[in-house]
Formats: sequence, C-alpha cells, structure tokens
Amino acid sequence: MAEASGEGGASDAGARAGDRTAALTSFFRDHPRLRTLAVAGPPYAVLLLFFAIPLLAMLVVSFQTGEIGGPWTLRNYMDFLGSSTYLTVVWKTLVISVQVTFIVAVIGYALAYSIVRFSRRTTLLLLLVILPFWTSYIIRMYAWINILQSDGVLDSTLNMLGLPAVSLLYSDPAVLIGFTYVWLPLAVLPFYASLTNLDGDLIEASKDLGAGPVRTFLSVTLPMTINGVVTGVILVFIPTFGSFITPRLLGGTNNIMIGMVIENQFKSAFNWPFGAAIGMVISVVVVALLVLGTRLGGGLFATGGEEA
Amino acid sequence: MSAADGLTRPVERFVQAYASRMAAAVIALVIAFLWVPIAVLVFMSFADGGVLSFPPDQLTLRWYRVFLSNDAALDAIVTTLTISVPATAISVVLSTAIAYAVDRYVFPGRSWLQLLATLPIIVPLVVTGVAMVLFFKGALGLPGYVSVVVAHVVRTIPFATLVILPTLLTFDRGLEEASKDLGADELQTFRQVTLPNIFPGIVAGGLLAFTLSFNEFVFTYFVKGSGDPTLPVYIWNQIRYNVTPEVNVISVVFLVLAVTMVLVAVSLTRVELLARR
Repeated sequence: MAEASGEGGASDAGARAGDRTAALTSFFRDHPRLRTLAVAGPPYAVLLLFFAIPLLAMLVVSFQTGEIGGPWTLRNYMDFLGSSTYLTVVWKTLVISVQVTFIVAVIGYALAYSIVRFSRRTTLLLLLVILPFWTSYIIRMYAWINILQSDGVLDSTLNMLGLPAVSLLYSDPAVLIGFTYVWLPLAVLPFYASLTNLDGDLIEASKDLGAGPVRTFLSVTLPMTINGVVTGVILVFIPTFGSFITPRLLGGTNNIMIGMVIENQFKSAFNWPFGAAIGMVISVVVVALLVLGTRLGGGLFATGGEEA
Repeated sequence: MSAADGLTRPVERFVQAYASRMAAAVIALVIAFLWVPIAVLVFMSFADGGVLSFPPDQLTLRWYRVFLSNDAALDAIVTTLTISVPATAISVVLSTAIAYAVDRYVFPGRSWLQLLATLPIIVPLVVTGVAMVLFFKGALGLPGYVSVVVAHVVRTIPFATLVILPTLLTFDRGLEEASKDLGADELQTFRQVTLPNIFPGIVAGGLLAFTLSFNEFVFTYFVKGSGDPTLPVYIWNQIRYNVTPEVNVISVVFLVLAVTMVLVAVSLTRVELLARR
C-alpha cells in the first residue's frame, strides 16, 4: 500500500512505479469490462486459437482431397463410410468400448460402494486407487506386456502352480485387461462422489420399510447415484473409443481399432484429409454420446464450478 | 410379490451376513489388480536376465547403470523437461486467470470459457492431436518446439483449473472484503490476500499439470516433428521396436517421480480433486 501511494522514504523511481500501478488499477476499476478482458482474455484466446479452431480446421481439411488445400470433396467420407473394412473396424471398436465400459463400471462401482459403505480409511484407499492413474499411460501398458507376454510373469506363475501357460499378449483379453487397468481409477471417482452425496436417511428409510440390502441397493442406491454412473461411463467410453496405444501395444494384428486407423493415416499413409475425416466421424459419435449422457443426467461439466 | 420375496429372502440374508466381508474382498482384489503390475515393473528392473526371464535368477543394479550411461534416454529426459517446465508455468497462469474470471466476474461468454476449459478432457486425444498437427503445421507454421509446448498447455489447463477453481470458491471471501474496506484495490487484494490463500491449490494444480505434461504422449506424438523424442515417445519407440530391460528402469524413475508429485499435491488439496484426467 505504501508503494502505491508513494509516500515516506520511497525513492522517485519507486514512486513513479507506484503511480503507474495506481493509475492502472484505477483505470481498470473504472473500466470493469476491460478488467474482465485482461483476466479472461488470454486464456480464452489460447483455448480458441489452439484448441477450438484446430478442431474446426480439421472439419475443413476433412472435405479436401489428397492433400491439404486440395479441391472440395465428399470423397473421404464416402471412402470411409462405403468401405466394409472400415465399418467393421468401427463396429469392432464399438464392441470393445462397450465391453470395457461395462467391466469398468461394474468393478469400479463395486469398489466405490465398498469403500463408501464399509471402510473408514477412505482417503488412503482413494489415494491407492488414483495413484496408478497419474503414472504414465505407456508405462502402465508396458507393465502389462511384462506380465502377459508368453513366458512372462503370468505364464511363469501358472507354470509354477502346475497350470498351463495362457500367453495372453496380442489377444482380445489382453486389450480388455489393459483398458480396464487404465480406466478403472477414472471411473471410481465419479461413482465415489455420487455415493458419498447420497443421503444415508434414504437407505435407513428403505430398511425400516422392510427392504433387504439387495432390494435397497436396486431401488434406492443405484437410481439415486445414476448421475455418477453416467459420468463415469462417459469418461471411460470416450477415451476407449479413440484409443490407439492399448490395442497397438497389447492387441494382436486382428485387434484393429479406429484410433489406430487414424494414427496410421497420419504416421504411415500420410493421407491427412482422410485421417481428418475419420477424426470427424469419431467426434460425431462422441458428441452424440455426450448429448445422450446429459439427457440421462450425467453431470460432466458440473465439476467445473457452480455455473449451469 | 410374496413369491418373489420368498425367492429373494435367502439372497438378502446372505448379503446381509457377508456384506462387509465381500466389500473387504472387493477392495483387496481391486487394489491388488492396480498395484501388482507396478510391483512387477519395479521388481523386474532389478532382474539380471531382463524382461524375458521370470522369475529372475539374480537381482542386479546393472540396468540402472546402463540407464545412467545411456545418453539417448538422458537426453529424452532433458527434452521432456524443456517442454514440461514452460508448459506448466504457462498453464498455471492461464488456469488461475480462468478460475478467477469464472468465479469473480459475470461476463458474456463466461460459460463458454468454462466449456472450452473442460472440453480438452472430453474430446478424444487422438482427435485433438490430429487437429493440432493439421492447424499448427498447416495453417500457423509453428516450429515443432512451440507446437508441443502449446499442445501441453492445452492438455493441462483443464486439470489445473479443476484443482485451482475449488480453492478459490471455498476460501473466506470476507478476507477480501476486509482488505477492500481497508482501502486496498482489487490488484493489491489479489496479490496480498487472495493469492496467498489459494496458493496451495495453485501449487497442487501446477504439480499435476507438470506430472501430466511429463507423461503426455498422444499430443506430443502427433504434434512433434522428427526432433528429439520426449521420454514417453522414447519409451514408445523402445517398446515397439527393441525392448531392453532398461525400459523397466526408466519406468521406475517415472513412477517414483509421478507418485512423489501426486502425494505432494494431495497433501496440499483434497484427494477427490485429482480424480479427473
């Protein structure tokens, strides 16, 4: 405060700097819109220029042919949607994504429920669940290569127990295990949050009315926490649908997912407009799911603040 | 109704009797599922024969020595840091501005700003990565290094904002009122009252942004040209083309770093906030 008023023993330079600060702050106080712009403008500009506009640019490029800046065409979309090979890949991606989402939802909900209802050391347990999540995705996949490869940790352990080896690496189950492993912590948190917010009196009331634990779960707990379930399901389904790392590292040659096709167009085939078109198709699927999820009551943006 | 009751009653009774034991089993099994692969990785980093022999005949520090004398891996760490450190700094400043603007000001486009700050989590990484490489290279002609830093900023903003915003929402606004009543203007109040109060949240957001950026693969993989690989890209190449036991060691280094950062972040803020990625 002394520096702003520039009194006392402040040097001339300090006083001048103080005057400038004072002038600046009073200017912004008199111009609240400019003040808001000065705070919100830079992040707004960064997110628009480097996130939103690139997505729009991808839309534009997806209607060009051969190379960027080529003539306008629908060919990329026709090639993609008219090819049974690609549609099979989309179908397979959908099937894997649904399987992963279902497995993660069941295990994740069981875990969140167990922690909320039956454990007192919730912070420690939550920490144990989310810590693996903050380690590198690639490294978590690599850990599973160590385990699943033929003569890896799993096979050797089975051998020691006198059981036959399974050599799961490069198979469908390996991909499911990998996805389940990486997304489980992601789903547990929204499940956990909605279960903690559930009013315990409702459960007591249900029990007082004679319902057993299963009936109470099915008619009170699950319906009352459906928002958290939908949020978790969306958070798992979307990244699985677009993933290429897990199927590339753990899946076999038959395990082609749509994210791998995009990666291929950009990294090997160098057909960027075609890759952009597939990216748009994925985006359409994702947006459709988000709209559906919001209809079902998932609060994906609710965590961002009080704004509706 | 009563027939159904007759059928479900034994199930209800069973669940009633064993519920807490079933819950304990679920917790133990899932946490083992989450941690056994990490334990295996750490253990195998000491295995003499490398990745292909389990159980290892002998434990050794050999691969740690190999790692420490591997210039390519150490260069990759330096490359990663030259991207992550500036990206984290920029991301934290922008995220604090977003949190402050969204919490304190009412302006047209406020909910759009919130949506823009959340969407990078939701749009599939491969889609955003592809969009970025198209636009950064094709339209803007940005150099590779700048592209990657910018991509990391976009990637980390949502997470830093999600951690910083609640600390801003929950701290006692009365302190700011008091400061203003005593004659301080908004900037002084922010610097001397608000900032010190939300600082733990900002540090936690920064640590998470750094962890995320240090681990970031997809954006880097697409946006970065043929230049020096970051550590995750280096590991990706190793895994895809020539697995050496050294990758186990690098993974352990990664793990220790990430776990330390997250534990510090958790000590500064609530564990639930670190959930979303």
